[in-house]
Amino acid sequence: MLFFSFFKTLTQQTVTVELKNDISIRGTLKSVDQYLNIKLDDIVVLDELKYPHLSSVKNVFIRGSVVRYVHLPPDKVDRGLLEDACRREAMAQKGKAA
Amino acid sequence: MSFFGFDTTLPRDKAGGANSKGFFEHANPFNEVAKARKLQAFQDNQEEVLDFEDTYDGLGDQLQEAGDDFNDDTFGGGAEGSNDRGGVGKDFDFFGSTAQVSTAIEEEAMRYNLQYPSRETAPPQSRKPKKTGYEKYQDPGYIPEIEAKSGAWSHKPSTHSPGQPSQPEDIHVSTSRHTAPAPEAPQPGTKMMSLEEVEAALLAQAQAHARAQAAQAPQPPYPQPQVFPFPVDHMHPPQPYQPGPPPMPFNQQHAPPPPRSASPRRHNRMPSQPSHPSQTSQLRPAQQPLQILQNPNRARHSPQPSVDRVQGLPPYGPAQAGAAPGITHPQQLLDLSEAQRRAYLEEDAKRAKRNHKIFLLSKGNGLMTPQDKNFITRIQLQQLVTATGTSADPNPEASLNEDFYYQVYSQIRGAPRQHPTQPLGHFAQTYLFQTGIRGGGRRQHANGDNHMQRMQQQVQRAVEAAKLKPKNKQLIIEGSLGKISFSNAKTPKPLLNIKRQDSSDARPASGRKEVSPSDRKTILKNIEAVYTTLMRLEDHERQSPPPPTEGDADSIQAHLDWRQKLQELNTALWQELKVLDPIVPGSSIPHPFIAFLSFAKGKKAMPRIFRLIDQEQRLTILTMIVVHLDQLDVTKDARPAAGDSQPTLAVREEIELFSQTVMPCLLQYVNEAPINIVIGLLGLLVERTSIAVVAMTKIGLGMMTMLLTRAELSKESGVVSDQEWQQWTALYNRLFDTLEPLLGLLFPGPVNSGDDIYIWQFLATIGIGASPDQQQRLVIGVKDRVMETVQQSKTLPPEMASVRLGNVNLFMRAIGLDVEMLG
Amino acid sequence: MADMADEAAAAVSEPLDLVRLSLDEIVFVRLRGDRELKGRLHAYDSHCNLVLGEVEETIYTIEDEDDGDETVKTTKKQSDMLFVRGTLSHPTVLASDSNDR
Repeated sequence: MLFFSFFKTLTQQTVTVELKNDISIRGTLKSVDQYLNIKLDDIVVLDELKYPHLSSVKNVFIRGSVVRYVHLPPDKVDRGLLEDACRREAMAQKGKAA
Repeated sequence: MSFFGFDTTLPRDKAGGANSKGFFEHANPFNEVAKARKLQAFQDNQEEVLDFEDTYDGLGDQLQEAGDDFNDDTFGGGAEGSNDRGGVGKDFDFFGSTAQVSTAIEEEAMRYNLQYPSRETAPPQSRKPKKTGYEKYQDPGYIPEIEAKSGAWSHKPSTHSPGQPSQPEDIHVSTSRHTAPAPEAPQPGTKMMSLEEVEAALLAQAQAHARAQAAQAPQPPYPQPQVFPFPVDHMHPPQPYQPGPPPMPFNQQHAPPPPRSASPRRHNRMPSQPSHPSQTSQLRPAQQPLQILQNPNRARHSPQPSVDRVQGLPPYGPAQAGAAPGITHPQQLLDLSEAQRRAYLEEDAKRAKRNHKIFLLSKGNGLMTPQDKNFITRIQLQQLVTATGTSADPNPEASLNEDFYYQVYSQIRGAPRQHPTQPLGHFAQTYLFQTGIRGGGRRQHANGDNHMQRMQQQVQRAVEAAKLKPKNKQLIIEGSLGKISFSNAKTPKPLLNIKRQDSSDARPASGRKEVSPSDRKTILKNIEAVYTTLMRLEDHERQSPPPPTEGDADSIQAHLDWRQKLQELNTALWQELKVLDPIVPGSSIPHPFIAFLSFAKGKKAMPRIFRLIDQEQRLTILTMIVVHLDQLDVTKDARPAAGDSQPTLAVREEIELFSQTVMPCLLQYVNEAPINIVIGLLGLLVERTSIAVVAMTKIGLGMMTMLLTRAELSKESGVVSDQEWQQWTALYNRLFDTLEPLLGLLFPGPVNSGDDIYIWQFLATIGIGASPDQQQRLVIGVKDRVMETVQQSKTLPPEMASVRLGNVNLFMRAIGLDVEMLG
Repeated sequence: MADMADEAAAAVSEPLDLVRLSLDEIVFVRLRGDRELKGRLHAYDSHCNLVLGEVEETIYTIEDEDDGDETVKTTKKQSDMLFVRGTLSHPTVLASDSNDR
């Protein structure tokens, strides 16, 4: 749940989602679920000339599994906290396995 | 669990068994209609008598008869009154247009009735009526279920009471989808008719009732008016194909007064008592609505009265006598007494409100199949489990771990939190001032400035205190820099060069050595172990029990246990930090604790560690750092490569990080340390480290500034004994002698290279403690840089210039001078 | 450059334990599709989803030259903060080393 928890703090932020088919979509992150499916509003497709079919689309729902990267606003990420959250999850998983 | 108030159990899960199929699972609900048409064709031709048994496959038996209660809602039949209010059916006005040609239809129906009188009156007795499953609707005693059930979809035991004689007129009901052969009771006029015919027959009978009741087929006696003192047709399912005009006569107050005679107007109740046709035509309609009101079942769920359906009304039983009149016409309202009218209007308003509610709730009815609902229910349950399952967890920590980042981030960045009751203050303490350490956010600068400002304040305080002492008189009086020029000539440049050679030789020796991968992995493992314990410790601290109350053994015990655990964790942390691992002099392998500090995350852990350890442990750490001050990555790697004015970006980042994380911890401790500790620390620094390395670095100078300032301030406050001060002065002199040849080299780059405030701070601090002779030597050492900076500041915008001059002046004031004097 | 992965495989029971050691360290990640990432590791999970800071992405593409030869072209991209989707990409943390910056 680490990344679900993480992405929840990034709602309403502008992110750029790069899909595995090379399309990059920038928009406002509206919501995310535990599968890391992503809902974006007010989207802009980077390299619009190459992908004109999306030019009239305003909102998208992106299935998590087709995402390659999500570029995030660095000032909205608390690195130390994120690392600790990651350690906690690792500890919890280890505790479960043991 | 039902989201919409439906019974969402699947038909297969119902108690009804294998035969209980839902309505839509039926092979073909419209089979019956097709059959009826076929049958009709045969009968019309009169060519042969068809045995019903031969053609009927008995599918009707399997029909679901119960639970049509919500059909109105589902199919838009409309709750009573809703039509008037723009509800369901307004744009579905089959009747509205049909009514305009009602006369024609009626005429047709008349003709039809004349044409086939025998069927109506004398059905062949040999035709054994087959049970169709629709009998229930013929049963005047039938009351629709009022529970919210998905009756349309599922099986329900029939409430049908067999043997009830049915009215022959009930065949009219077949205008609705309840087309079916008549029930088992004697069926004088039963035959299969097409939909059109049925409709026509219905209308015809309306006519017939109105004009020639006697000519109609004999009506069986109405069965149970006493038990259900409302017209049976009210109990019929709604007629979705004939929503008709506002079914509640009450609401027709603005409609033109209908003819009140025994006219066939559909919305008027037909008199059902042949003996008083004219009377009932006025009275009956008035009575029924109130009865409807009085019957809660009716009121809640039975479909609206099919007022327009003119069919054989049962003779009203005595139970209805004396019932308050209903209103079909505005005039009637006026005729009522005041109390009655008010009561009626109140009732009306209540009912309208309720109907509206029902209507609103029922908008989406029937949109989803039971499977859909089941699916949704499962999703909802799943979400409930994930959402609240954790809160039901006996261990709230588990839920915190699951959502740690969000919870804490929300806490420290002010986003709305899901569990505001959770105490997260400790987290704020841990993380609030660490955010954005890397990456150049605004916070970073705020933090860095903060530390530098505190140092600045310290130094300024020391400078101000020193100025009060008269020992600087000489310089102030002399006031000129001529003397300084004179001294400058004495400064032996070659000597400095030699010194510098020494120091640069020393550095590689102290270890520019790469850490081997295995060491690296070990160190990283150590660091992660420290973090694990650190987080456990923080969690444990967060879970501290309330302070023990006296006499309460349990609470005292709980507190003792908690303290013991705290101590255990502290010990574990201390061991993992490896601060007390033996120091091996001359070893090429850095001390584990120093290695710990050479990693960014090791540095970042220090403020959190410092918060959780005691003073003695803090001093131990401080001592370790001072002893190894020339072996820290932030000092030994800080020397710029040849030709560069500053260290590499990575090293600069580490230095920045160290000043933001480790230095404030140390400063905080030193600021409260007694003079003997400061003397001890400075002694270690002078004895054990290479000042030539330390002095060339920001961290090294910062550390020395810290100790020197603390000593000066301690002395000013008068708590320092003469003996201690003598010790200190001896140490200071040693330090000064070591530093003097390096003074000109402290500045890493040319005058325009920027960040040199920490150097001026150090110079100021060393100047405070300097004797007049030492001050002169100091001035000689840095005179060139002073002059350059003053010159350069003249080319800068006023703001930047004043900052630069301010830095220089910090030093100048410490030795009793001022940049103003330099003109 | 130190290759931690091989060495630690024997000592560390869980591969992800090794990844944890690289938290807040510079790591190299090789992805499917001839992509490599270098950046500071801020988070990972059991699906190998990652968050990296100050990332440099290198994409290797093969281009046909006019003379029929194939040349490998490298494209570099920067990102301040990057979430990398795991699960299907099977990223391998090859090494972590902060000394070579």
